[in-house]
This record gives sequence, C-alpha cells and structure tokens, in this order.
Amino acid sequence: MNVKFNNRDPVYVQVVRFFKEQIAKGLFEPGQEIPSRRELAHQLKINPNTAQRAYKEMEEQGLIFTEGNLPSRITKDEGVLKKVRKELIVEAVETFVHSVRTINVPLEEVLHIVKEYYEKDDFTRGNTRD
Amino acid sequence: MKRMILQGGIPVIEVKNVTKKFGRKEVLKGVSFTAEKGQITCLIGINGVGKTTIMQAIMSLIPINSGEIFIDGSKLTKDSYEKIIFIPDTITMPPQMRIGDAFAFMDDFYQSWNQKRAEELLEFFKLEETERISELSKGNTAKVNMLLGLALDVDYLLMDEPFSGIDIFSREEIANVFTSHLIEDRGVIITTHEINDIEHLIDKVVLIDNGVVLKEFNVEEVREKEGKSVIDVLREVYES
Amino acid sequence: MNRYLKLVNFEFNRFFKLYVVLVIVTIIMQIIAVIVESRRYMQEAENVIYGEMMSKADFIKNYEAFTMQRIVQSNWFYWSIAFCAVILLIYVFFIWYRDWLGKNSFIYRLLMLPTARLNLYFAKATAILIFVFGLVALQLFLFSIETQLVKWMIPAEFRVDLPMSEYIRFNYLSIILPSSIFDFFIFYGIGIIAVFIMFTAILFERCYRLKGIIFGISYGLVSFGFFLMPLLINTFVLKNYFFPLELFVMEVIVCIIILLGAIWIGNYLLKYKIRV
Repeated sequence: MNVKFNNRDPVYVQVVRFFKEQIAKGLFEPGQEIPSRRELAHQLKINPNTAQRAYKEMEEQGLIFTEGNLPSRITKDEGVLKKVRKELIVEAVETFVHSVRTINVPLEEVLHIVKEYYEKDDFTRGNTRD
Repeated sequence: MKRMILQGGIPVIEVKNVTKKFGRKEVLKGVSFTAEKGQITCLIGINGVGKTTIMQAIMSLIPINSGEIFIDGSKLTKDSYEKIIFIPDTITMPPQMRIGDAFAFMDDFYQSWNQKRAEELLEFFKLEETERISELSKGNTAKVNMLLGLALDVDYLLMDEPFSGIDIFSREEIANVFTSHLIEDRGVIITTHEINDIEHLIDKVVLIDNGVVLKEFNVEEVREKEGKSVIDVLREVYES
Repeated sequence: MNRYLKLVNFEFNRFFKLYVVLVIVTIIMQIIAVIVESRRYMQEAENVIYGEMMSKADFIKNYEAFTMQRIVQSNWFYWSIAFCAVILLIYVFFIWYRDWLGKNSFIYRLLMLPTARLNLYFAKATAILIFVFGLVALQLFLFSIETQLVKWMIPAEFRVDLPMSEYIRFNYLSIILPSSIFDFFIFYGIGIIAVFIMFTAILFERCYRLKGIIFGISYGLVSFGFFLMPLLINTFVLKNYFFPLELFVMEVIVCIIILLGAIWIGNYLLKYKIRV
C-alpha cells in the first residue's frame, strides 16, 4: 500500500478515504481481511494512534467490522458498499460540476462530452485489456 | 520495599517550569510540557535552543536551577532508569567494545534488557555482534545506538536527534521503527530541528524557542480543527 | 551489591591491560636492579681483592657484605616503585576523567544505570584498592625471587641473608609493607581516606568545572586541616594535655568523620550536581 498523505488534512480522515476509494474501485473486496492497526501504521508509515483512530472511524461508519479477536474485515453489507460508491461518485461530480460550471456551456453539451469521453476511454481500456 | 505508584500515577512525563543556566547564559527560562505514554511527542526548535538540555534534565544528567520534573507522578530515582531511557545523539559505549559486549553490559545491569529483541533488531539492521563500535559507519552507529535503547522494556524512550546526520536509507529504517511494534504503547520524546520526514509519525509537537515553550499541540487535532500542517503552525508562530 | 560488584569487575577490566604492562615493567626493572647491583658488588670485590691485594675477609669487613638492602636502596628498584606509584596516582584521577573523554562519553551510560550512583564511586575506589594490593602482593613475590637471584649471583661468604623485615625497615618500603597489623591499618587507612578525598575533589571539579577546582582544592585542604586539628590543638593550645592514646583515639574519630564526609559529599554531588 503506497499512499501519499498531505499534511493539512487529518491523516486518519485520509486513511478512511483511501479505504473508501479502494472499496469503490473493488480493490478491497467485501469480507476481505485487512491488516491490523499496527501493520497498517507500518505499511503506510503513519503513527499507530492515527491508524487506530482511522479504524475506529471506519468501524463507526460501518466500513469494517471485527468479530471477537479475529482480524478486522471489510464489510459485506451491500447497502454500505453502495453508499460508499455513491459517496465517491457524488464527490467527483461535485468537483466536476464546480469546475465546469464557470465555463458557460449548456448542460446537454457537457453531458454529451462526458458520454463521448467515457466511451472513448472504454474503448482504449478494452484494447489494452488482454 | 518498593514504593507503589498508585493514584496520581498517570503514565506521563511532566516538565514543570524548568529553568537552567549555563554560567550566565539562561538556556531554559521556564519550560513546561507533558509527554504521554503511548504517544510520540516531538520537541522542535532551532539548534542550540535547549532541546538536548531538556532531555538531560529529565534524565537527571544535569542539575536544573528550578522547576520540577515528574515521571508517572514521581521524581526520578535510580529505579526509574529501568523504565525510561535516553538515547543521545552519539553512542555512549567505549569505542573498542564489540556490539556483543555492549549487549552483555546492558544485560548485566538492566533487568529490563531484552536480549532476544536486541538480537532480532541486530539482524533487522543487518549487523553482527562481532563488529566493533569504532568501526561502524555513522548510519550504523546511529542504528546500534537506537538499538541499545529499543531492546530495553522501558515505558519511555527519549531520543535526541535520531535523524540528524544520517543517510536517507538509514533514516527510513529508523522511521520504520517508529511505526513498528517496538514503539507500541511506549512514550517517546524525540527532538529534531527539521520536521519534514516525520510529520505523519508524531502525535504531539512542543515548539521551543528562546527558552520557553511557544506552543504545544496535538498534530491531528490541528489538522482537523484548523486544516493546518505542522509547518503552517510553526510558520505562524515564528512570524508573530 | 550485585551491580556494585559488576561495576568493580568492569573497572578492573578496563585498566587490566595497562596494569599488566605495569607489572611487567616492575618485574623487569627490579630484576635489572638485582643484576646491576650484584655485578657491581662482585666487580668491586674483584677489583679490591685482586687489584689491591686485600683478603676476602678484610673486603667483607670494610665494604660490608651484600644484602637485599643494596637492592632495595638502588635506583632501579626505587624507580620501579616510584613508577607504579605515579601511574596509580594518575589513574586515581583518570579513572574518573576517562568517562567524560571522547565523543563516546561513557559517563552518560554510567549515570543512567539503575543503581545508586554512589556505587560508581565505591567501585572505582575498590578497583584502585585492588590494583594497589595487587602490586603489593607482586612485590612480596618479587622479593622471594630476588632473594633467590641474589643467592645465585653472590657467593655465600659475601652475602648476609636478611629476613624481609630487616631490609625493609627504615625506608619507604615500611609504609607499603608495614611490619605490624596496627601500622597496616594506619597507613592504608590514611591512604584510603586520601583516595576518597581526591575522588570527592574530582567530583567538585566535574560538577562546577573551573569553580569546582577551587572548591575541590579547598575541600582537600579543609579535610587535611581537620586531620591535623587534634594534633595542633593538643600541641599549641593545650600544651600537650592529652595522652598519646587519647590523641590517637581522637585522630581515629576525626579520620572517620573525614571519611564519612568525603563519601556523603561525593554522593550528594553525584546525585544532584553532576553534569555530563
């Protein structure tokens, strides 16, 4: 796991975000075991207390669960997973809309460009996937 | 009969209003801060501001002019040295000693010496017990120096400039130590004059300038509440 | 107690190599003393007896028979003892200062050991004592070797085989090898107290640096003053009022007070005032 943390946002928030991204991308699978708090701190090169805080937050948000003394795992709850995906997409859309809005172009044209780009990107990806 | 430290024995090092003069020069003019067990506290300040002096004072290696220092609620005694260790910026073993002899020395005198961990760490750092301290490179000397402290089952580790004057790879290895099980649940105080590599490793910053503590803050809290990095805060304080 | 012994062991080991050199040098110098003095005597005997035509008996009467006294009074022998004494005296100081030297200041390590700091003080004193007694034992051993050597080098009619007490008497050796237990306790007792005073003076310097040198010397002088006090008061103020035995008891008490003072002050300095 190689994550670049910025210095201004709380690190634990950035860790939670990272997990959400990995979940949304499907890189962390539902039910998958995650490293212990200390292992995570070691891999990400962060303070163990921060890792601890991140886990607490994720546990509270339902992103991970811990059964007894077993290692923590990513939630299998479809509802939570959907929510995470939606959250990230909404965030991206927010950013997109915010940056595109200032350019005076009607919504249909914007959506058209988006669709075009999406399909082109799909095609490129299709070609490179062997 | 060993005195049990019960109520009031909160696991923390408290420095209260410590002053220290060297000759006529007042180096510490009333320094106060706390460092909790389970956290990594970083003393930051320019070179010569007195960070090493503070650590020496905590360890009773120098006398102080006024103020008090408490470790887990009581003053330092000879038995405290089994639960708090100071790792200065130079190695404090005779140069002719071999690493193995240094281990034997520590084992002889400290009940809290963990020989197994010492050997594990030595392996991790890729060094041999037969090597002489005088023949080690600067980076390796720093590692052995740190090793001698880490192999003790102490509650508190005080490290003076653990990252200074060492090559990048050794620095990374040492940084790894901070995120490993070796530091878990212990209280660590480190000093540094540059914060770059270690912003994400520390819990608390104590900024020292001109003999006093200018600011003492929890790093994640400041990020959360004010959206500032450690460097932002330092800049702010220095500019005011 | 355990850590104290470990410290003694440590202090012993760190000086051991130099100590062995000291021992070897002493042995060599004293053997040379024997050889040189014996040869010189026999040479003189030859010159006088054959050169000046004196009879053996006359020679022995006029020039005195050869005894261990000649060895003990010779330069080589004297310097072998002086050499050891000087080295040990230097080490009384160096045993402390070496811990502060160099960038591997070992004093950090010593002061952070989970043991009473006074143990550092006692361990160093004990080590010095061991070294001194070691050399004394060496000297006793060397005397037996030297006596044998003399028997090989000087024919029986030319020599008188004195017991050790005879050739040690009346010179500085009687202090190192006292003839009575009583003298032993007095000489070595005072020696030990002197070492302790020097240690405490050294600690004054280590705690206060430049000012400390003055404190240390003053402290030494004050201690010495106390030591002399009973004698001086008795002689000059009280006009020899006290019996020698009473004076002696007073001196012993004063010495004990000085000793305890040295230890107490040393402990205080080590615990509260020492600086790396």
